[in-house]
Amino acid sequence: MPVFKTPFNGYSVRFSPFYESRLAVATAQNFGILGNGRVHVIDLASSGPVINELIAFDTADGVYDVAWSESHDSVLVAAVADGSMKVYDTALPPQANPVRSLKEHAREVHGLDYNPTRRDSFLSASWDDSVKLWTLDRPASLRTFREHAYCVYSVAWNPKHADVFASASGDCTVRIWDVREPGSTMIIPGHEHEILSCDWNKYDECLIATASVDKSIKIWDVRNYRVPVSVLNGHGYAVRKIKFSPHRRNLLVSCSYDMTVCLWDFMVEDALVGRYDHHTEFAVGVDLSVLVDGLMASTGWDELVYVWQQGMDPRAA
Amino acid sequence: MATTQSPSPNSNDDKPQAVSELVQQANQVLQDVRPEATKQSVPASVFVNSEPIREDQVSNAVKFLSHPKVRGSPVIYRRSFLEKKGLTKEEIDEAFQRVPDPSPSSQPASLNQDGQANSLSSIQTQVPIQTSQPLAAAPTGIVSSGTVARRQFQWYHAVSAVGLLAASGCGTALLIKKVIIPKLKLWVRKVVLEEENDYAKKIDAKPSLAEEAATAAKAAAAAASDVAKASQEMLNSKNEERRRFEEFMNLMDAQVQEMKSMSNSIRKLEGQANSSGRAFSDHDDHRASASSTKQSYANGNVDVNVQPGRSSTLPASAEPPHPKSFMEIMEMIQRGEKPSNIREVNDMPPNPNQQLSNPRITPRTKPWEAQNGPRQVLQSQTSAEGLNQNGVDSGLNYLVDDESSTPWWQWKNLRITEIENEDEVKADGSYGVKTNEQPSVQRTWVPPPPPPVAMPEAAEAIRRPKSAPKETAMQEQLADDQSAARPSEVTDELQRITKMSESAGAVEMNGGFLTGNSTVIQEQENSYEGN
Repeated sequence: MPVFKTPFNGYSVRFSPFYESRLAVATAQNFGILGNGRVHVIDLASSGPVINELIAFDTADGVYDVAWSESHDSVLVAAVADGSMKVYDTALPPQANPVRSLKEHAREVHGLDYNPTRRDSFLSASWDDSVKLWTLDRPASLRTFREHAYCVYSVAWNPKHADVFASASGDCTVRIWDVREPGSTMIIPGHEHEILSCDWNKYDECLIATASVDKSIKIWDVRNYRVPVSVLNGHGYAVRKIKFSPHRRNLLVSCSYDMTVCLWDFMVEDALVGRYDHHTEFAVGVDLSVLVDGLMASTGWDELVYVWQQGMDPRAA
Repeated sequence: MATTQSPSPNSNDDKPQAVSELVQQANQVLQDVRPEATKQSVPASVFVNSEPIREDQVSNAVKFLSHPKVRGSPVIYRRSFLEKKGLTKEEIDEAFQRVPDPSPSSQPASLNQDGQANSLSSIQTQVPIQTSQPLAAAPTGIVSSGTVARRQFQWYHAVSAVGLLAASGCGTALLIKKVIIPKLKLWVRKVVLEEENDYAKKIDAKPSLAEEAATAAKAAAAAASDVAKASQEMLNSKNEERRRFEEFMNLMDAQVQEMKSMSNSIRKLEGQANSSGRAFSDHDDHRASASSTKQSYANGNVDVNVQPGRSSTLPASAEPPHPKSFMEIMEMIQRGEKPSNIREVNDMPPNPNQQLSNPRITPRTKPWEAQNGPRQVLQSQTSAEGLNQNGVDSGLNYLVDDESSTPWWQWKNLRITEIENEDEVKADGSYGVKTNEQPSVQRTWVPPPPPPVAMPEAAEAIRRPKSAPKETAMQEQLADDQSAARPSEVTDELQRITKMSESAGAVEMNGGFLTGNSTVIQEQENSYEGN
């Protein structure tokens, strides 16, 4: 399985929704504490297990997350630690990039999500406790959602209802929002510690998973959110990111500060289905391909990006 | 939508029947539309709290909010605490309204339908309350709370404003009567007394002087006692501050000791290869200190503030080990040094009005969106597909060995589907965690019945024609007609697959696969026929 070495510490990896072999990687220098950042657009060569870099964009501050546009196949958005977001178009010559700089957040932008059903808007989650809604054609945000009491680490659009999204915050709650409503419509006090990531089940729009510093992943049904549907324990340290599979109803993948990437089936008694310990530092970003069933990618502070098929060893040649 | 066209030819024949038919067809159309409408309206209710307000939770929250220490904390932290305890937004708003807090207790941005009802009731209750309270205090209090109230109900606002004006008018009138008249009387009495005093002044000169001296002495004594009391209070408060400082110092000492132990253990374990129980730092702390070091570095200060109390911190034993260079960089920044590898990068857009390039590919439907259509058809066949599966998979396996046909990132998927089918047939739940052995990784999790048996085939077939042009082109830009033709190819393939699965024949399936521009399929056919 191929490996891509980034000069900076990896923070996030995302598959393109248009091209099966394309990914974007968000990296930050000096572990994201202080330094530059870089966005890589990489491509999997079909001839062999090789990853080629198509283009890379430098930023003044670390890049914490990246999201592909769902409407334009060559456009991606990067979340930068100086509070701005940069929009890149890989079809334009490199000198023309970035095409936009969206600066409204007062603090680091930590999470991005593009609307997979409406395809025209995206959300940004920031350490300034707010979530903002944007479209590519406007330089200013459309809405600001300010209710969390602490950093918002992650946002996720509902895969079925184009106006509903969830936000995970360091105030230990997950909030469900509807862009048609002025405030949050539901508050789930999911964990006793900070919640770092959330994601919706692609096949059951009422199920949402949350990952927390308390090393657990909990699956919630919003219709009965007092008690979790399932609690997934197994990580040794804080769980940094989770993602439900776009192809299989019960499968989700998670990455953690225990340097592993884990696969879970939350409907089964013994939920841990796979564990990959290929990273030698914090595993910080993970993604499952929407186009290719079973294809997954992960990145971490060890400056490596792995892409492999589920069931194979990511470090195999 | 076609059903609306059909009643027109029938309606001319028999009017009552036609009317009923029209109604039936209109109902059908409505029923078709209604599920969509209800689907769109139902999610709003699914993602909203529908629980009634729990009185016990609200009363607990009121007690919490009434505590003097809580009163001094920012509102956002009070709300966050209650949210973490599991109160809904409506319950929190209700608790805030019940607590007699003059400061604005609700955020202006958070409006809810229930919240609006609550504000309605709150304004209504405030209007009668103002008449019962002492009139002098009422206007100011209600003005402050009135400004906080929802702006949507402006006419309520106007009514309360009129009431306020009337009340203030009455209040001032009463004040005048109560205050000014006694003052007048006092003044009159003073004048009278002065006249009397003038009379008796000469007689009472000395005793009055003595009396005055006595009263002055008394006043001085009273003032001295007040001063003493005030100074005592100052001393008490200082003592309290000292105690707090001592406690704070103790906490700081504890933290310093923890940091020292952390650094000691880091140094100890630096020699080891892999970590098992190294030094720890909390996720909050490292993020908080990372951000604060950023800020403090920007300000030129060196002190690192670990923000306590914002969120609960993990016990020290549960914190992840940070890489060695991470600690080095943290120390560098704490010392005020800037890491040397940082460059000045200008990442501003050269043309902020740059047009985005036109998309070359139409967006693809997501697997969970596309499933509802073909999946239902495919799920109806179970055993027949199971038989077909093995045949097809064995045929497709030849492709696995043929490296040039499919991209490497799709290989594994076939084996997964093969073993999935075996599991379904055998109902075997064995599972191995090893990632080195490929077959054994396939897991306990079995797709829920009905099994997505034909889905992998569909996915493969969908993937086939797309991968073929990719291999030939291998460029970012694809022809528009190719991309436009793909969705139709997909649906054609799916239809063919459903037809093929109905007829149980592996040969037919291979024969029925896509023709024409997919070289992959031709290779498959060749390889199959070669056997």
